[in-house]
Amino acid sequence: MRRALLLLTLAAGITLVVWSGWKNWSQRRSAMQAQQQARVDLVPNQPANGSSDGQSPLQGKPAPAFTLLDLNGKKVSLSDFKGRPLLINYWGTYCAPCMVEMPWLQEFSRKYAPDGLAIVGITYDSEVGRDAIARTTQKLGVTYPILLSTPKAEKDYLSGTEALPMSFYVDREGKIIEISAGLGSKDELESLVKETIAAGVK
Amino acid sequence: MMIGPARTQIDMDAPSIPRHLRNGWETTSRSSGWKIKSRRAFASIAAVALIVSATAHIGRAQLGNAQLGFNDAPAKPRAYVLYAAEPQSVPADRRTLLQLRFQIVPGFHINSHTPKSQFLIPTTLTLQPATGVKPGPLQYPAGQPYSFPSVPGDKLDVYAGSFTVRLPVVATPGDHAIAATLRYQACDNASCYPPRSIPVNIVFTAK
Repeated sequence: MRRALLLLTLAAGITLVVWSGWKNWSQRRSAMQAQQQARVDLVPNQPANGSSDGQSPLQGKPAPAFTLLDLNGKKVSLSDFKGRPLLINYWGTYCAPCMVEMPWLQEFSRKYAPDGLAIVGITYDSEVGRDAIARTTQKLGVTYPILLSTPKAEKDYLSGTEALPMSFYVDREGKIIEISAGLGSKDELESLVKETIAAGVK
Repeated sequence: MMIGPARTQIDMDAPSIPRHLRNGWETTSRSSGWKIKSRRAFASIAAVALIVSATAHIGRAQLGNAQLGFNDAPAKPRAYVLYAAEPQSVPADRRTLLQLRFQIVPGFHINSHTPKSQFLIPTTLTLQPATGVKPGPLQYPAGQPYSFPSVPGDKLDVYAGSFTVRLPVVATPGDHAIAATLRYQACDNASCYPPRSIPVNIVFTAK
């Protein structure tokens, strides 16, 4: 009888311990699930590419045609620059490295004007409005044409990547000979500009 | 575990104990035998308890990781910032600070709440009204200086690694959830990515 009682007590004790362990575990599991539901990841629309020189499908291809509006509402097309070396610079008003290189581009646009160099900036975040864009470019001292992007132009040039700045170096034949993604040094930029001017010269 | 059998040995090898008393010892010994079995049983219980508590501990360790959300690999594309959604317990009806912890993916930074340039987008948290919660002004941490490698002279003011925004609240007793939105703009060491607005669910209990 005593033995049975003890066994019963033991069995009850073990059951209690196992049950409380299970209960504890299941509570933790539900808390964990609640946590996972509450968790928020800040996810970009596209994976970050970083510098992707040479990775773009546009490398070595003809520059995609565009007709975009400038800050005065005037239409500007790729064909307007036919026969000239052209630097197409995608930038954004929020983009600190873009604002570092834009004064350099301004300098190159003057320095290499005798070589026929043209530079255009295409604003990625055109939704901020012409006034905000104009304030930014005035502050930076930029006088080369600033155009407003469209979804089509973004698709054609950026192929889904959102990394800025991104520049396309187009030779006199209209072919993209170099693409630079991200901020490099002023010297690197200038050597690409020189390369673009030299390309296609007969 | 060895104590039981050792004592039994002593019990059995007790020659100096008179026979009439030895019965008593035998009785005791039998009883001691039960004790041994009981000890074994308790040892079994202890073992089970150990296993259960170890399981619970593993569960807790897993939960710890899930709370932080940094160690488990996300199935989504690369994220710039993670919100460590930790449920917090605070005193009710008293001004208290909620800690909102964010982790930025290594290699990226975001502008601080007070970037140096007017053109840059500050990191801001916007709260929706929540019943039973009176929020105070958000307290953002100071940023740290950052320069792009190719222009070391230009100093930006950024958050990198992790940062904690503090939210003062006075809340009625009970469970609360504040819907919030974090706006930030991320860059790596050469490129910048468009600004994002993402939902942040702040959950806490006031007791």
